[in-house]
Amino acid sequence: MARIALIIGALAAVLYPIPLQIQGTTYYQTVGFLVFVNAMLGLGWNVIGGWAGQFDFGPQVFFAVGAYTAALLYVKLGVDAWLGLPIAAAVAALICAVLTYPLTRLRGHYFAISTVAIWMIAQPIGATWEYIGAAQGLFIPVKPRSNVVSAALSLQFAGPTKALGYYYAALALFALTLGLMAWVERSKLGFYFRAIRDDQEAAEGIGIDSRLYKVIARSITAAVFGAAGVLYAFWALSVFPEQVLELNWSTLPIMATVVGGIGRLWGPVLGAVILIPISQIMSTTLGTGPLAGRGIDLIVYGLIIVVIAAFRPTGLLSLPWARWFGRRRSALA
Amino acid sequence: MTALLSVEASTKRFGGLLANRDVSLTMDPGEIVGLIGPNGAGKTTLFNCISGYMHPDTGRIVFDGRDITHTRPERICHAGVARTWQVVRAFGRMSALENVVCGALQRTNRIAEARARARELLEFTELRGKDDMPAATLTLADKKRLEIARALATRPKLLLLDEAMSGLTPMETAAAVRLVRRIHAELEVTICVVEHVMEVVMPLSHRVVVLDYGVKIADGTPDAIVRDEQVIRAYLGERHAAR
Repeated sequence: MARIALIIGALAAVLYPIPLQIQGTTYYQTVGFLVFVNAMLGLGWNVIGGWAGQFDFGPQVFFAVGAYTAALLYVKLGVDAWLGLPIAAAVAALICAVLTYPLTRLRGHYFAISTVAIWMIAQPIGATWEYIGAAQGLFIPVKPRSNVVSAALSLQFAGPTKALGYYYAALALFALTLGLMAWVERSKLGFYFRAIRDDQEAAEGIGIDSRLYKVIARSITAAVFGAAGVLYAFWALSVFPEQVLELNWSTLPIMATVVGGIGRLWGPVLGAVILIPISQIMSTTLGTGPLAGRGIDLIVYGLIIVVIAAFRPTGLLSLPWARWFGRRRSALA
Repeated sequence: MTALLSVEASTKRFGGLLANRDVSLTMDPGEIVGLIGPNGAGKTTLFNCISGYMHPDTGRIVFDGRDITHTRPERICHAGVARTWQVVRAFGRMSALENVVCGALQRTNRIAEARARARELLEFTELRGKDDMPAATLTLADKKRLEIARALATRPKLLLLDEAMSGLTPMETAAAVRLVRRIHAELEVTICVVEHVMEVVMPLSHRVVVLDYGVKIADGTPDAIVRDEQVIRAYLGERHAAR
């Protein structure tokens, strides 16, 4: 049953933008792009927040680190996006490890507050550091590409296939992240993260270095955020502080994870598929009406969170789907 | 025979309270040592110092030839000390099997191997058939067994059981005593039990150490301990001491 759902989902994800391309409604391809970017971020946040149980409200710092690193490599050294991507992810993870190690002395709310503090410190740095363009940021020039292959290889899609190209790039990175996270969940890391979440003292008593594994968990989160930041930078063709350090880069993935099912591999994926189109479609359909303006989508988000928190705090995936849709057990058995 | 563990004049102070004062004791390989004393005598503090959750203010703790006085809990576990908790600390949202797998991963990086070891230990601790149950849903007696299985999965040389039998029914207690004997006999682990229930400690222990107000007041065979003047005074009060 789960396997069939997986195949259908994968097919839908691959085929989704094609009719839109023929129709010419590329806007909905961009909605799909944002769904996968946020699903990927949610998968990343699920490592520190879901498995390791440490509430991190500042992962957008590493989204920015990734975006800036790849943009700098491209603008200053001419390094292509796909080569810059693993470097940016590694830089994000490394900076995260250095920043997080002292924070792991803090627990619970205090850890959460300290992650926010780092984000607040990052904002003036981003806005004033001349080397990275200060408040103006960096612009990523599009180099003309002769064909689709060279565009894909350089992660620079333009013209009528721009939305399509970035959709598939986001899908590919999302799938890679999903695969890596499925591996992490079943590895020693996954067991150790969850042990620390459930009881840190007991975890130390069976030989788990809680500070080390919290740093590893958050660095994995940071690497995913960094990689997503690269993708976003090349899509937006610019990196500036207000954009990449925006709070939404953490609140949306966190909300998606909580709605879908925190600490479950597919939780952030389900949450992103539900939440992201709501905000995108609402902000366009309400665009000319009396309810125009941003904010309505946030009210709807708030209501969804309240309903989930009240009735199913463990998320939609924790509902008894198998009992509802699984193979019906014979009443006689 | 060289001692597996030796605590040398360990003192631990909490503000004005001396939880442990100059406590010295040794445990030899293969022993079952009972650690008893009235409430607040400093038994759990001593356990915390041995397992690295606290560090003595003065004194020294040597395990297996290594000074572990200021070593962190995870390193001490790696050296071969495992413990259970007075108030159970199972990984509530993980299954019983996963709890034990976490312990087994201390000695291997391969999940399949850790799983196999965990299954063996669930069988050994008579938790078979409860592999997939979330640990939070187990009964208290089963949680205590699960903690023991998880501790054993780290392949300890010394197992510290902090009131593994408190709060259990008489039948569960008898089963727990059998389990401790089997751990000692079949897995060749040195065991130290903190316990309040005398009927449990006395027949189980080879040697009993008594703490009172943070000070060691007696150390000897169970037979000698029950006749010890100071121990009787600590437990029953002055009036009974001379009888």
